[in-house]
This record gives sequence, structure tokens and C-alpha cells, in this order.
Amino acid sequence: MIEYDEFEKRLVLKVVYYGPALSGKTTNLLRLHELLAREQRGDLMVLDTKDDRTIYFDLLPFFLQAPSGLKIKLKAYTVPGQVRHDATRKAVLQRADGVVFVADSQLKETTNNVESFQNLERNLKMVGLSFDSTPLVIQYNKRDLPGIVSTEDIDRVWGETGIPVHRACALDGGGVLETFRALLGRLYLGVDEKISLESDHGLSREDFIAQILRPASGDSGEIDLREGGLE
Amino acid sequence: MNQDIEFIVGSERRLLDLIGRDEIIPLLAAAVRSGASGASVLDDAGEALWQDGADEIDGSSPQRRSLRLEGEPVGTLQVSGEPGLVRPITDLLHEVIQILMTNNLKRMLTTEIHTQVVRQSYEELLESHQSLERSERKYRELSQSLDAQVKERTRELQLVHAKLLQQEKMAAVGQLAAGVAHELNTPLGFIASNLHSLGKYVSRLTALLLRIREQAGGKSGALCALDLEEQWRVQKLDFILEDIPELIEQSCDGAKRVQRIVEDLKGFSNLDGATLAELELEQELERALRVLSGKLPEGTRIHRNFEPLALVNANPALISQLFFNLISNAIWVSDKPLVLSFRNWTDAAGLHLSIADNGPGIDPAILPRIFDPFFTTRDVGEGTGMGLTVAYDIVHSLGGILSAYNVQSGGACFELCLPPQE
Ligand SMILES: Nc1nc2c(ncn2[C@@H]2O[C@H](COP(=O)(O)OP(=O)(O)OP(=O)(O)O)[C@@H](O)[C@H]2O)c(=O)[nH]1
Ligand SMILES: [Mg+2]
Repeated sequence: MIEYDEFEKRLVLKVVYYGPALSGKTTNLLRLHELLAREQRGDLMVLDTKDDRTIYFDLLPFFLQAPSGLKIKLKAYTVPGQVRHDATRKAVLQRADGVVFVADSQLKETTNNVESFQNLERNLKMVGLSFDSTPLVIQYNKRDLPGIVSTEDIDRVWGETGIPVHRACALDGGGVLETFRALLGRLYLGVDEKISLESDHGLSREDFIAQILRPASGDSGEIDLREGGLE
Repeated sequence: MNQDIEFIVGSERRLLDLIGRDEIIPLLAAAVRSGASGASVLDDAGEALWQDGADEIDGSSPQRRSLRLEGEPVGTLQVSGEPGLVRPITDLLHEVIQILMTNNLKRMLTTEIHTQVVRQSYEELLESHQSLERSERKYRELSQSLDAQVKERTRELQLVHAKLLQQEKMAAVGQLAAGVAHELNTPLGFIASNLHSLGKYVSRLTALLLRIREQAGGKSGALCALDLEEQWRVQKLDFILEDIPELIEQSCDGAKRVQRIVEDLKGFSNLDGATLAELELEQELERALRVLSGKLPEGTRIHRNFEPLALVNANPALISQLFFNLISNAIWVSDKPLVLSFRNWTDAAGLHLSIADNGPGIDPAILPRIFDPFFTTRDVGEGTGMGLTVAYDIVHSLGGILSAYNVQSGGACFELCLPPQE
């Protein structure tokens, strides 16, 4: 549900990092906060955590402006992954415009991934969102660890769904931007369809993505592409 | 179950949603006391929201700092006075207001989630409450207006509590509705079926009566009698005449049952009203039992050990709810054929009534907490954790005490004691 105020020339978008406990959702936001330019983003707000486990949610806002003057605010949230915080997850998922599902690559986490994904499907429905029309990107995180699911297996499982899958090591930032970029691309398509970002506001998909992904200064400007997407 | 979602987490906010007059004015006043000639906060359109002192500028332009929420400018802090003096004051004030805003935002977001996540366990609520308190404490060092904030937060939490109580009541009403539907179905079922049979009987009787009228028109008496006899048989009148009174009696019985169920229900329908009545506790207990009869597991046995006691002056709806909650709890925990034992007695402390079950009893470790709000041993989604709290509150509102303990035979016992009434 895109929040668009034509009169105020303001658009608010919401993306949610979903996934099982400890899969690295909060770490993804931490890395985005570090890697992206200060001018394009607000502060990272981490609401009460307990031993590093998210209890409420984390929030990182991004800002950009279309040539038409339309101000766009994009809020990235993480949900708490622990099973018992389901009600909070539902609350955070409300009105999401896009979802990144962060899976834990470790083989022993397979069941948790599956359960969390089913939970996502169920909760999307419960908050009145359609699974098929919500932009979704999957990230297989923790590729640096031993005992992880193989690329072939990932392909086999997700290949035919058409959902883009990225591998990442959020701990050192690899794949984090690529995942986010893939989601932004999908998100743009949905928004453009509804409020004609390109024709009415002069904002192309490439500009939309490039503005948000402006690297933090002091950085070489190069985006680490070691863990390329499988798209 | 569809839980109500009242807030959208992270909906957009403005400065006015976030800071209260009581919080900001003392801060602006403090700046003026420390030497600024004026201090004000402007909204994003440049309109002054709050101000202390004169905004006049003696030649030099005022210090301005942007106030940011989630990184977005939502207003401006403006302080006028001699620049050398005012600059550090402005910086400090800016810092304090930013912290205040962030804290308030966090508090609002967490409170929203609290309201939504009513089933979250008691432990966590307590935890996050404590950590809210911790961040509150940080802020205390920066501002004087803590008192107002604490009051505000207490009010918010009370609101959450009140909502939960209401929700518990609604849940009980929901269960009730299910139970009643079940109870009503049986008598209504046979009333409907009896009416159907009666309808068929009436058409047979009508056929016979028509025949009699036709024949009375002239044929010989003998022929007529023969034909009538034949018709009597064809229409099965012997059976019909025998069955009719039974059907009517059964249906009347059923109607009375429906009536009584509706009577019992009326007891619940005035939960929030202040109507008082002289009640016999035992009868109210029976009433709650009847309403719950659809929920009682098969083979349930009930022992009553009642003696006639004084009447109690109370709101019948509350008493119904009290017994409903206690018995529901016993049904919930029962793990074998349920045995409920009721007993009443009087002593110097007042009037006692106990409800004991044969369930697993209450773990001594959690005994001190079972009446706490949100406390539940049920799985997420199965109980609000408020049923016993509501029961406790009801007894408390009557000036009495509700206590829980384990009985020797193993089950749990809830005992209420109401003070003697003049
Ligand atoms: N080895 C390795 N560890 C990671 C990686 N990403 C995250 N972690 C670690 O995994 C742990 C959990 O990460 P978080 O980001 O807090 O997990 P989360 O998904 O937010 O967890 P919840 O808030 O409980 O849902 C932390 O100790 C991270 O440092 C990774 O790519 N590799
Ligand atoms: Mg987290």
C-alpha cells in the first residue's frame, strides 16, 4: 500500500526485511547504514533489543527526490525473527511495499527458513497483502560459514519461482547492496505502475536505484560485487 | 481469529504529535534564563509552535537549528540573543530536543506495538517496560519535565491494560455465544422437527374431516361408518392421536429450555452496568455452569457442598463473569475426566466459596503470579492471560479476596472470601 500524497508531493514506501531468528536482518540494515551516503539516509533506529535479538524492529529511512519535486521516503524495517514475536512481525509487515527474505544458509537452519517463509506467506495474507503482487527478493546470508546449502540446491528450489535470489555475507557486507538493489528494482516497477514515476515525475528506474544506493563518501565508490546475484 | 490492528507501525508523524507543550516550554524557558532573549520552535512551514521570551533580534540574526525526525527536517529551533553567548546554548538545547524527540518516538512506537501485541508474554512486557524506564532515566538527566512524561506513559499503559480487560470480556462473550448456540440448537432442533410432524398430522386430520363432511351429505349410515373406519386406518389416526400430546409437551419443554438459557444469558449482558442486586452466590454459580455446559468435557462430575448463606449485594453480570472465568480455567487445565467441587461456608472473615478441580494443580513457582495481568501458561494465541486477573479484579471490587492454592488430592482451588455485609 503505497502512501502517496499528491498535494504534498510526497511518497512514503516501506520495505521489510523478513526471515528466521538470527539470519542477519539487523546486520543487513547496519551494513546499508554504513555503505550508503549520509545525504540519502536518516539514522538507523534500533528499538530495544535483548542480547542482540530484535524485540520490536529496526528502522532505516532513505530519502530521494524526483525531478518533478516529488519527495520520496523509503523506510526499511526489520522484523524480529524469533517465533514468539509473531504479532510484532505482523504489525511491522502491515502495508509493506516490498519484502527481502533473509534466509540463513546453514544447513541446520533449513527448517527455520522454511517455517519463516511459510510464516511470511501467512502473515502477508493476514495483513491483507497479496503474496504474488508484493515485490520479493530472497537473500541467502552467511555464505562465509561452513555447512551451508549449495548454490545448486538454492537454484533448484527457487529457480522456477522466478523470485530473485542473492547470496550474501552480511557480516562483511558482501551481497547486501545487491540484494537491496534487486528489491528496489522490483519495487520501482510496482510504484511506477501506480503513480507513473517515469512519465509524470521524470524518475527512471536507474535514477531511483542510483540515488538510494549512492555510496558513502570516503568509499572508493565501488560496490563490492564479490557475491553476485543469481538472477 | 482476526486481531484488530489499530495503528500502522511507522506511520508518518509531525513535530506536534511528538512533543508536548509541557515538555518543551521549560526547555525554552531555561534557554532564556541562561541569557537568550528569546527561544522558539517553528514547524516545517516556519510557523511558531512554542515560544519563550521575545523573538526580537538586536541586530544579529538568530541561531537556527533544524529539528530532524528519522533524518527528515520537521521543524526549526530558533534562539535569539548575543551570538557568542547564544550559540552554545542553542547547540545544547538542540541536542536535548533531538534526544527528547527520539525518545518520545521510540516510546510511541513501542507503545503501539504493545497495544497490538497483547498476547506477548508477561516477561517480555516487563522487560521492555524496564528498558523503557531506563531510557526514561537517561532523559531525566536532561530535562525537568520527566514527571509529565511518566504520567503520560502510565496513562498509556493503563489504557493498554483497560483495553486488555475489555478484550478479555469480549473473548468471554465470544465463547459464551458459541456455547449458547450449541445449547439452543438442541431444543430448537426438536421443536422444529415436532412442528414438522404436527404439520403432517394436521393434513391427515384435515383429510379425514373433509371426508366426514362429504359423507354426511346423504349416504347410508352403514356405508359411511365403514368408509370412516377405513379412512381412520389409512390416515393412521390412532398413532397420530397418541403422538400429538407428546410432541406438544416436548416442544413446550424445549421452549422453556430456550427461555431459561436466554434468562441465564441476560445475567451476562450488563457487564458494564452498575445494577446491583441481592444475589445468592450458589445460584449464580449454577447459572455460569449452565452457560458453560456445552464446554464441559463428557463425564464431568460436579460435587456441591452448599449450605444456605446470606445474600450478597453485587452486580450480577460481574458475578457471572467471575464464575465463568474460574470454571473456564478449570475446564482448560483439566487433563482427565473433570471433577469440580464447590463448597461454601461462613466464618468471622465473611462469606467463603471455593471451586476446586482435579487438574494438575498450580506450579508453586508460578503461584504468586497467576493473578498478574498478561500472565499465562497457555501457548501464544490461546489465552489472553487476563482471565484470572479479571476474576481477581471483580472480587477485589467487592472488597473481597480471591486466593489460589493446591489441594491435597492434587488439583487447584480458587477460594473467594467476601466480607460480611451489613
Ligand atoms: N558468519 C556470519 N555471521 C553473520 C552474518 N550475518 C549476520 N551474522 C551474525 O548473526 C547474528 C545475528 O544477526 P542479526 O542481524 O542480529 O540477526 P537478526 O536476523 O536481526 O535476528 P533477530 O533480530 O533475532 O531476528 C549476529 O551475531 C551477526 O553478527 C554472516 O553473513 N556471516
Ligand atoms: Mg534483528
